[in-house]
Amino acid sequence: MNTNDKSRREFITAGLLASLAVAGCSTKNNPFEPDAIDSIKPSGKMVKLLSVDGKVIEVDEAFLKPVPNLPAVSNDAARVGISGKKFVMVIDLSRCKSLKKCQSACDHMHHIHPGENWIKVYPMQDSEHTAPYWQPTTCMHCDEPPCVKVCPVDATFKRKDGIVLIDSDRCIGCRFCMAACPYSTRVFNWEDPGLPKEIAEQPYSCETSMPQKKGTVGKCDFCPDMARKGELPHCVSACPNGTFFFGDLLEDSVTNGAETFRFSDLIKDKAGYQLMEDLGTKPSVYYLPPVNRNFPFENNEQKEDKKS
Amino acid sequence: MKKHNHLFITLLLSCISVAVIAQDAKNDLSLTLSYFNNNNQVQYLVAHAKSKIDGRFQMIPGINVSFFITNDSSGNLLGKSVTNDKGEAFLLIPPTAKEQWNKSAKQTFVVVSQASKLYDETKASSDITKAKVKIDTTDDRKITATVLELKDTAWVPAKGVDLKIAIKRLDGDLNVNETQTFTTDSTGSITAEFKRDSIPGDINGNITLIAKVEDNDTYGNLSTEKIVPWGSKFQYVSNFDERTLFARRGKFPIWLGVIAYSIIIVVWGILISLIFDIVKIKKLGQEV
Amino acid sequence: MENSAKQKITEDLLPQKFGKQGKIWVAFLLILCIIGFIAYCRQLSKGLIVTSMRDYVSWGIYISNFVFFVAISLVGSLITAVLRLTNVEWSTPLTRIAEIISVAAITFAAIIIVVDMGRPDRFYNLFIHGRLQSPIIWDVIVITTYFFISILLLYFPLLPDLQILLRFKEKTGNGLNKLYKFLGSFWKNTPAQIKISNKAISILCITIIPIAFAIHTVTSWLFATTYRPGWDSTNFGAYFISGAFLVGAGGVVVAMYVFRKHYKLEKYITEDHFDKMGKVLVMLALLYLYFNINEFLVPAFKMKKSEKEHLIGLFTGEFAVVFWFAITTAMILPILILILKKGRKPFPAFIAGTLVVIGSWVKRYLIVTPTLLHPFLPMQDVPNEYRHYFPSWEEWAIAIGSLAGALLIITLFARIFPIIPIHETITETEEHEKA
Repeated sequence: MNTNDKSRREFITAGLLASLAVAGCSTKNNPFEPDAIDSIKPSGKMVKLLSVDGKVIEVDEAFLKPVPNLPAVSNDAARVGISGKKFVMVIDLSRCKSLKKCQSACDHMHHIHPGENWIKVYPMQDSEHTAPYWQPTTCMHCDEPPCVKVCPVDATFKRKDGIVLIDSDRCIGCRFCMAACPYSTRVFNWEDPGLPKEIAEQPYSCETSMPQKKGTVGKCDFCPDMARKGELPHCVSACPNGTFFFGDLLEDSVTNGAETFRFSDLIKDKAGYQLMEDLGTKPSVYYLPPVNRNFPFENNEQKEDKKS
Repeated sequence: MKKHNHLFITLLLSCISVAVIAQDAKNDLSLTLSYFNNNNQVQYLVAHAKSKIDGRFQMIPGINVSFFITNDSSGNLLGKSVTNDKGEAFLLIPPTAKEQWNKSAKQTFVVVSQASKLYDETKASSDITKAKVKIDTTDDRKITATVLELKDTAWVPAKGVDLKIAIKRLDGDLNVNETQTFTTDSTGSITAEFKRDSIPGDINGNITLIAKVEDNDTYGNLSTEKIVPWGSKFQYVSNFDERTLFARRGKFPIWLGVIAYSIIIVVWGILISLIFDIVKIKKLGQEV
Repeated sequence: MENSAKQKITEDLLPQKFGKQGKIWVAFLLILCIIGFIAYCRQLSKGLIVTSMRDYVSWGIYISNFVFFVAISLVGSLITAVLRLTNVEWSTPLTRIAEIISVAAITFAAIIIVVDMGRPDRFYNLFIHGRLQSPIIWDVIVITTYFFISILLLYFPLLPDLQILLRFKEKTGNGLNKLYKFLGSFWKNTPAQIKISNKAISILCITIIPIAFAIHTVTSWLFATTYRPGWDSTNFGAYFISGAFLVGAGGVVVAMYVFRKHYKLEKYITEDHFDKMGKVLVMLALLYLYFNINEFLVPAFKMKKSEKEHLIGLFTGEFAVVFWFAITTAMILPILILILKKGRKPFPAFIAGTLVVIGSWVKRYLIVTPTLLHPFLPMQDVPNEYRHYFPSWEEWAIAIGSLAGALLIITLFARIFPIIPIHETITETEEHEKA
């Protein structure tokens, strides 16, 4: 297991810059399918660089800069999604130790109100003699989402790329979606989320799910803003054990930043399964069973609960 | 007068000692510098700032850093940058480095972080030898990657270099076969067999192969890409535009629309006709 | 029929001014409404955090109140429509009582649902962005439709009475007289008018029945379209409707007794009415009991893992007291009381009716909350308070305020309009005498 944070981060950013640089230098298309909404357009502004063989070359600026300052996508574009992709997540239960770094990263990056975690890590034991394990649970981004079916105002919707998002500008707070979700993954802003002023005043973006608003529903969003930049969701990058894998089903590849696997092989080889798929929700999150655990299951929270 | 002088000196000394004590409370900044070369074209530097806070390393944003080539004299300044929230600062190597760059095969890069309230001025350097990676492929899906280093003016094979051969994917790179890392032999090459059959490519079945040298002490980070038609053709089917119960507003299933609207039209038609009945009754009443 | 007899009936049934008791009652209801309103203002400013609802119990007594109101509003279709269409004459004095309970209940159902919304300021989104696939949109459509039908079913039979009321200006006062004029001065009781009106009433009675079924079936689908144990039942539509008829009938018996006693209407709401309504109530209670047995015994036989905790919680666990209280007061006790002839006298019937209403309200709470406390995945990684639910004072105030508001509408209606149709009573008495 590669626990070198620095190397993984540089790896990702290097990969990003490389792909963008290549996009500028070669005739290969933008990594995202040519879509009017999605492709990076040449800005026309050329930048001079020193090439490796000591010559001066010119490259369009738009293809070189890493793109943290992409303007937020419009509401209509956020409702359609990234064409040509279908995002999936694989969670390796044999690696989870309930460190909850995923939870704290997600809470921090989305400025989530305390107590309203979007990722919950459950201690599970399916029946008396079966193995206990920790189960990090995100939104399943179901392909037949019961929450989307029941929303009366189209405030929660499923996109082309499989991601289910919430439009907090439209949500009326009826909480029907929360009743309908069998995974109990949705949370509600019962009071004002108490965001810092600069964030609370920003216009709402469905893709960052920020700023959260009082009286609306929130949930894990698979970080589509990160996917547009070619980066991994925050939970995936935050886990020191590399428990979360994220990728594109249509590319047949998932990665946790350090390791990349062919998705179909991974699920077949390790007998991946989905949570409560008998309900017909067709979740996009797969779990790898806790076989050959890296460490024994210890539930300190339960011990503390019993003490108090 | 003398008394005042004594007082002044005492004050000055105490100020200095306080300043010294304050300075001692600064944290140590750990700075690292990496060199990147993509496709033998674009090259850039990445400076990484970390500090041990509460026993754990944390990335430090907002550090002003200056990049230099060869040494940190002001004439060799390449550019300045600020670390982002991941503690990284980037700089594309600008044309001003041309003179120094073309002088020799071995280069040194230096990064200096500006002194601030929390951190002292810190320096880091990275020595690299110019190198490049090449990919060659054959029709029977064998990949040969060669690493060459520049010795004086000639490119010679680089032995014992660790390489990864992979297919470029959205967020990561998928190894072409089970071998995670290859090591170059005496000719500076490795061969790898492409074992990822039917991996989805683009609409024409093209995939991008990438050969990477990562974090090499001598060469830095190198990568090269090549497009090959070894993937399966990309097929995209989405039910986004279908009429389903979970589709967006106007895309309800036809049967639902027919049932709902017909009930609404019939019942409200009846109600509206009853409103007209009231009008009729009113008219009849006014005639009498 | 002699004019003096007609006059007597009319005078008996005219709306009466509030006596001391009436005024205290109205003041009491107003105070409850005001407290509820204040609690709602608190909720608007601070958010739904003032309730005890949290991420697991995301629907609480606002929703159970909503279901209760929708249930009671079905009484309009039962008493007014069904009994009218089957030419059951003894129901005539009860039709307006039933109809106003219906209208008051459906009004407050709409109000309490807006109260439950996290963002009531975005209410219009339901209309400009509504999704036809959502059961909530179906509910909005049927509730609106039912409201209009009920108003019309209140209005048409009121027209002849308005004509009568206009003659009694000295008794009713200037203000009310103006209201009567505005509403129906054009009614002259001509054969042509009567024909149109009777036809309209028949059409309304026929139309309201499927809509009444629809309104409560769709409300039951707010629960039955989810996967949760206790809600994932094919039985829900029929179960809810039978419960609705029961609580509606119970409500009518209570109202009958109160109006009879207070306005001295013993000649019009006779002991025979209580006897007949009592029998209706027994049948409905037995029917509801039947559906309850199906709803609980069948899953209990299987004890599926997801449903086991929920069922045990209801039968012997944390909800046992509430559950058995509801079953007893809503069904068992009323059946036992009303099955005896003596039990169908006005006062015992009134007690039985009250028990039905109280038990049914508690039953609605049991439909909403226990299921939410037994989700599929364990309740972990959440603050402790999320694992329990007892309504906060704001929730109680608003729920009680809404009930008080509905009662206020009924009370004020009886003050303004005759609670027993005058014209129909006269007509029917005439026909009886002829026969």
